[in-house]
Amino acid sequence: MTIAVVEPWVEAPLRHFVQDAQVTLALLLTPSGQVLGQHGFTRAVDVMAACALAAAIHASSSELGKMLEGKPFAGLHHAGATRQIFLAPAETRRGTLLCLTVFDDATSIGIVQLYFDELRGRLEAGAPGARTPPTGVLADTFEQDLNRNLTLLFRR
Amino acid sequence: MSDDIRRWSEELARDPASLVFIPLGDALRRRGQLDPALKVATRGLERHPYDADAHDLLARIWADRGELERAMDEWGAALRVAPQHAGALKGMGFACSHAGRGVDAERYLVAALATDPTDATISAALSRLRMPPAASGDGGPRPSGPEAVRSIRDSSASPSHPAPAAESVSELELPPMPVSVVQDARDVFLDLLGDGEQTALLLDAQGYVLAGSYVVADGRDVGQDVGGALSGVSDEAQRAMRHLGLGEWTSIVFETDVAAVAMAPVVQDGEAAVALVAAARSVPLGLVRRLLRSVTERSAAWLTGTVGPTGAEL
Amino acid sequence: MTSVFLEMLDGFTRQRGVQGGLVVSERDGIVVDAHVQLGVRASVVAALAASIYRKARLSAEAAGLGGVAYVELAAVQGRLCMAGRGDLVVVLVTDGRSSVGLLRTALLRALDNLP
Repeated sequence: MTIAVVEPWVEAPLRHFVQDAQVTLALLLTPSGQVLGQHGFTRAVDVMAACALAAAIHASSSELGKMLEGKPFAGLHHAGATRQIFLAPAETRRGTLLCLTVFDDATSIGIVQLYFDELRGRLEAGAPGARTPPTGVLADTFEQDLNRNLTLLFRR
Repeated sequence: MSDDIRRWSEELARDPASLVFIPLGDALRRRGQLDPALKVATRGLERHPYDADAHDLLARIWADRGELERAMDEWGAALRVAPQHAGALKGMGFACSHAGRGVDAERYLVAALATDPTDATISAALSRLRMPPAASGDGGPRPSGPEAVRSIRDSSASPSHPAPAAESVSELELPPMPVSVVQDARDVFLDLLGDGEQTALLLDAQGYVLAGSYVVADGRDVGQDVGGALSGVSDEAQRAMRHLGLGEWTSIVFETDVAAVAMAPVVQDGEAAVALVAAARSVPLGLVRRLLRSVTERSAAWLTGTVGPTGAEL
Repeated sequence: MTSVFLEMLDGFTRQRGVQGGLVVSERDGIVVDAHVQLGVRASVVAALAASIYRKARLSAEAAGLGGVAYVELAAVQGRLCMAGRGDLVVVLVTDGRSSVGLLRTALLRALDNLP
């Protein structure tokens, strides 16, 4: 099993999650779309696209949740014919992280949610101190960071 | 080769987290520079403890140093991360064979061949492993079950027949494996089963048959197929126990259209195995559970080598 | 709001040693309906029980043993008894005092009442 991470502290939690939940793809990212870790992707361009889409889906579904229930939705699950996706946030000292995961019949949404709760706990416990948040919506160094992270993930 | 080593060394110096330590360590190993290869591999593993290729590399280095126990530990670690890792399966096969563990060796080599049917070295090793011994010795009573495996290991490593030092994994010598050992393992539960429509298997943690058989109407032994298919159920049970607060699992029983299947964990010397009983639906369920208990006890005794075929005490 | 499963689950949880009864979706591993004692985490039981049942069913099919009707996982301090039809699995969580033979029969009978 190959887990690639940009920041070492996310590796163990992500590895546990992938092993226990038996998901085929997993991405950890920031709400702005910066990747922190991944499992199952083979091309940087796919990671970049998935991060951008996940960040956008999270942003819009959070706003929908606020409109409907006064708070963001806790998670989003979409069941396809053979594959399903689950996208949910995890709060850490480093701010909110998003987990996007894709799974098939080898597991179930119940199992994925069960182990996502564990992932959330492990990320919360393992996160180092907070970084200074960017002043704008996106940091000035966003593109540099994006390229650096993708290079780190696919250096093999 | 030396250009590659220089290039990979530079890359590793620039980025100590790089996975380039794997080809670098292997290149050093192939050149016989085992100490630097060992350093590269162990440091790499510190950063990548779940990389099966890295464990495979370290295992090959230990094997080349003649330390087969350590090599097997590493191949075992590789297989825990990646159960179908061809290199680790092949390595374990050769190492088990070298250690006189013919049943295990055959099992690993069969699995290795399944992952790489074109590898002629595996086919050759398997043929040799399955070849009956040329001479049957003094005609005295032969040990059976695990004891037989032990006796082969002991004889192959005795002062008069010193075990050859492992020059490299592919050069490990294969001691001949008596056919009787395999047959004995299949018969371990025969006396417990009687003439009823029931059968029993002992599976290792990866679903490979250690003992027993599952013979269908046309005479074929489908034990490996059935065992492999059902072993995943015990993994599920183990996983569930971590969350349910019910303690360790003791058995799992399921009733199908044609059979009742019961499984129970067998832990011996830290090695996990699973005892499996299958019986026709006509066999009362209470009897199936009782049989499972007997098979579990027999399995534990067989694994420790205190009973041989048909339950005879050794 | 009462569900079609309420009466059945209520009947199960009155039995000695039964700590909870659930109807779960085998495919999704989520609770359809549940009647559990305090301390039993229904969502966790649902996810894991469905997964075990599904694995047993698929494994039995792969081994040529046909479909599965009843699965029982016994542990040191209790057991999970499961019976399923279609996508629904009825799950009972019990402690060590339960009468398993009785529960098995009741579970298999209950399958007839599943929609």
